Formats: sequence, C-alpha cells, structure tokens
Amino acid sequence: MKTNPFKLALIVCLTAAAILFTHSSSAQSAPKGKIAVVVSTLNNPWFVVLGEAAKARAIELGYDATIFDSQNDTAKEAANFENIIASGYKAIVFNPTDANGSIANVRKAKDAGIPVFCIDREINSTNAAVAQMLSDNYSGCVKLGQYFVKQVGENGKYAELLGIVGDNNTWNRSKGFHSVVDNYPGLKMVAQQSAEFDRAKALEVMESILQANPDLTAVFCGNDAMAMGAYQALVAAGKEKQVKVFGFDGADDVVKLIAEGKITATGMQFPKLMARTAAEYADEYIQGKRDFNQKIPVKVDLVTKDNVGKYGDYGKK
Amino acid sequence: MRRAIAITALIGAAGGLCWLFPLFHVVSLKRALAEKSARIFDAAQFSDVFWSEKLLPSIDKAVPAEKLLPAIRADPAAAKTNYARSLGMGDSYIYFLRGAGKVISISGDEISVGVSENATNAEIVLETGLIFGNTLRDGTGLLSASDYPDSQDFNDIASALNKIVGQRVLPKLRETKVGAKISFAGCAEVDDESADLHPLHVVPIQAEVQ
Repeated sequence: MKTNPFKLALIVCLTAAAILFTHSSSAQSAPKGKIAVVVSTLNNPWFVVLGEAAKARAIELGYDATIFDSQNDTAKEAANFENIIASGYKAIVFNPTDANGSIANVRKAKDAGIPVFCIDREINSTNAAVAQMLSDNYSGCVKLGQYFVKQVGENGKYAELLGIVGDNNTWNRSKGFHSVVDNYPGLKMVAQQSAEFDRAKALEVMESILQANPDLTAVFCGNDAMAMGAYQALVAAGKEKQVKVFGFDGADDVVKLIAEGKITATGMQFPKLMARTAAEYADEYIQGKRDFNQKIPVKVDLVTKDNVGKYGDYGKK
Repeated sequence: MRRAIAITALIGAAGGLCWLFPLFHVVSLKRALAEKSARIFDAAQFSDVFWSEKLLPSIDKAVPAEKLLPAIRADPAAAKTNYARSLGMGDSYIYFLRGAGKVISISGDEISVGVSENATNAEIVLETGLIFGNTLRDGTGLLSASDYPDSQDFNDIASALNKIVGQRVLPKLRETKVGAKISFAGCAEVDDESADLHPLHVVPIQAEVQ
C-alpha cells in the first residue's frame, strides 16, 4: 500500500493537536488533580447531601471530584479505596462504613501517600486519617434527652430505634440520650431495637413495637430516616398524636414536619459544613499544610417547634 | 488446550474478584493488640484519677470571677476571645472560672451568688441538679478528643465526671443557706452569641461554704 507523505504528516499533526487539546482541556478543568469522596451509602438523602457538598467544594477549589458509594459494605468500601489508590487521586474525603473495619482502608491510602479526611463517622484510630470532622453526637443527644423529658414528662413508656450496632454514632447518640432519660425511673423503655438507620426497616420495627405496646408515648430514633419511618408507622396505626417522635440529623423532611407540629424534635448536624471543611482541609494539605487537629467536634443544635424557623437546607438559614 | 485456557481464565477471574473484594485484611499483631487494648478503657477509674490529680490542681489556672464578670459586662466578644475555650466547629464556648461571693437566693436546683461587693442580683448561678453533657470534660482544656481513638471512651469520661460532681460536690452544696459566704470553681458553657450571660450558669467542680 502506498502512503502519501503529505497525508501522513497531516494525520500526525491532527492527532498531536487532538492529544494536546484533550490534555489542555482536562488540565483546565482540574489543574490541581482529583479528590475522591467516599460515602458510606447514597441510599439516604442525608449522605447524598454530605457527598455532594464535599464534591461541590472540591470542584470550587479547582479539583476534579468523584463520589464513590460504599453501599454500607466494608468490602465495597475496600474496593473503592483500591480503585482510588490505583487512579492517582490526591486526597480522599471519607465517610466510613465501620469505625473499626474502615481503619485498614485509611491506612492503605496513607501508605500510598493519599491523605484521608473523615467526615460524620469516625474511625477508631488517631494516627491513620489526617483529620476527622465529627458531629458531637453525645452532647447533641443530651440536649434531645433533656427536651424529651420536658415534652414527654417524667412518666411514660417509650421505645428507642438504634442505628447500625457496629457504628460509634449509634452508641454515642444512645448514650447521650440515656445519660439524661435514665435518671427518671418513671420513663420506661419498653423496646430498644436496631433499624439500621433505614427508613423502611424503621417502619417495620415500629409496627411491631406498636402491636406489643399500644400505650407507647414516645419514640427516640437514632437518625431522621428512622424517625420518618416511625412516623409513617404511627400515621398508619392512627397513633401519630399519641406518640411523640424524636429524630437526629436535621434532614429537611423532618425539619418540615417539626414546623407542622408532627415530629417533636431533631438534632441538627451540619453535613454541608463538615463536608465543605473536609474538602478545604484536603486542599490545604495538598498545598503543604500538615498540622491538623485529629478530631474536630462539630456542634449539634436542638431543633424544636420554638426555633425551627432558623433551620433548613441541612443547616442554619 | 481449551481446558487449560478455561482454567487459567477461571483462576484469573477468581483472583480479580479477590482483589476487588478481599476476603480478609492482614493486620500486624502489634497493631491489632494496640487497637484492642485501646478499646479496654475504664472511664470511671480514669476520671477518678483525673479529678484528683489533674482537675482539682488546675483550679488556680481558672479565670477569677471578679475579672471575668466585668469583662463580660463591658464586651462579651472580647471576654470570649480572652478567657473562653471554644469547642471544635460551632458557636458554643466554655469559661473555666473561680471566685467567691455571697448566696443571694436558692431555688430548685440553683444557688444564686453575688460576687461583686454589695451585689443584690445574681451574677453566678451554681447548678445543683442533675449534671449532663460535656461542660466539665471540655471546659478546662485538659482533655482533648484527639487523644481518644474511640469517641465512646471520651464521652464516657464526660458521664463519669458528671457523676463525681453529683457524689462529691453537690450534696454539701445543697445544704447552703441564703446569706452564706461561698467560694467556688467550675465551668460555664455558653451555647451561642445570643445566650443570656447575666447570670452565668456554672457547673461546680469545687465549692466551699464558710
């Protein structure tokens, strides 16, 4: 086959131009590299907000950012980390699935020279992640417990819906709540069951709790997704006015129901604040900063009918 | 030949699956033991030692009430900058203070104290009811969340310190009468900038009635 040298030179030039164009446009879109945002689950709107806020801030700071969903599965999370390490990411904003089970993933990234910044959920280690921004779940639930006693009174039967039993947030919330409520012997906890932070499971669990305890007066839920599921079960049973619902997270749908007087209270975490700060810390680390506090508590606000107007869109208005 | 290729492909696929979804992680025994021992934490015992060996001796570092109260009256923001300890991300902060004064009134779970000479209104309220939360744990700056791998341990300290106050400080304090002279030390948490600081509500660490 005969080749026209002019044609060949043209093809080479066009190919080189295409490569240069692709390179310069990708460099223009992400001159500072890539940041990974690994989220425990995208099956809960609260975590979607958390992940999207981190991604948006990373993009604002000049990075390419990708969200990885661990689907509440440590094996899936490990695969995400392997993928991230192999793909040249410069930092990871990380919402872990398991306080102990996720440590190995963070260490693996650290060993590969990729800094990790935990948000919302902690890992039980102080020398693996660069920093961890964590809601002060315990004192948030102390406030909820105090409000619970004011609203429910010092006597009555209540139930507690726990989150994932292997998660520290589950127990920090439960312990904060009980550090108050257990001082009142007239408040009897008739059921304490896990609904794994899941709305559909909370609906099922609440239905069975209501069957066994028709005289229930309140339910404390370890997150707002479960509060929504519990409220749905109460509406179906016609008991939504008899049983006061308390949640935790500050999810928009719960804040709206507090404003309507249907849910009694929640603890407002600030997912956007945590996520944006983590992305900013990642940027500062990439720019050379190294002195970060390991664990940074983020204040939780009590949201009730009295102050609900101040809150919305996963934060303070 | 075909069989060999099939077996190789199968082994390759299995290897790929194991790489993507590892069945286990190898962790050094040293690291595993360190993490396990870190989990065994006796908050009550720790808090007992911390109370006597660290917290009580630190009281002389607390800001004197006769200095803090006029500073808050003059400029709350400046008083916060100069004397308060802020907690992580958020608008709450804590004063660690000490002082002496006269009991002006007692109601429910509160003892109102006037610190200024001839004070007739409460400037300090000493809390004598059930003590909750992290005010004592976080107020002095002696303990940091960053030192505790598992935040449950750190929160257990808050609960244990509150129990110590309930057992060692409050019973005697509740016997106080109006008009008594009292010296005190404690922590006052301010929730946000809009909080009413007059009087300042204090969780007592030490209180002596004369």
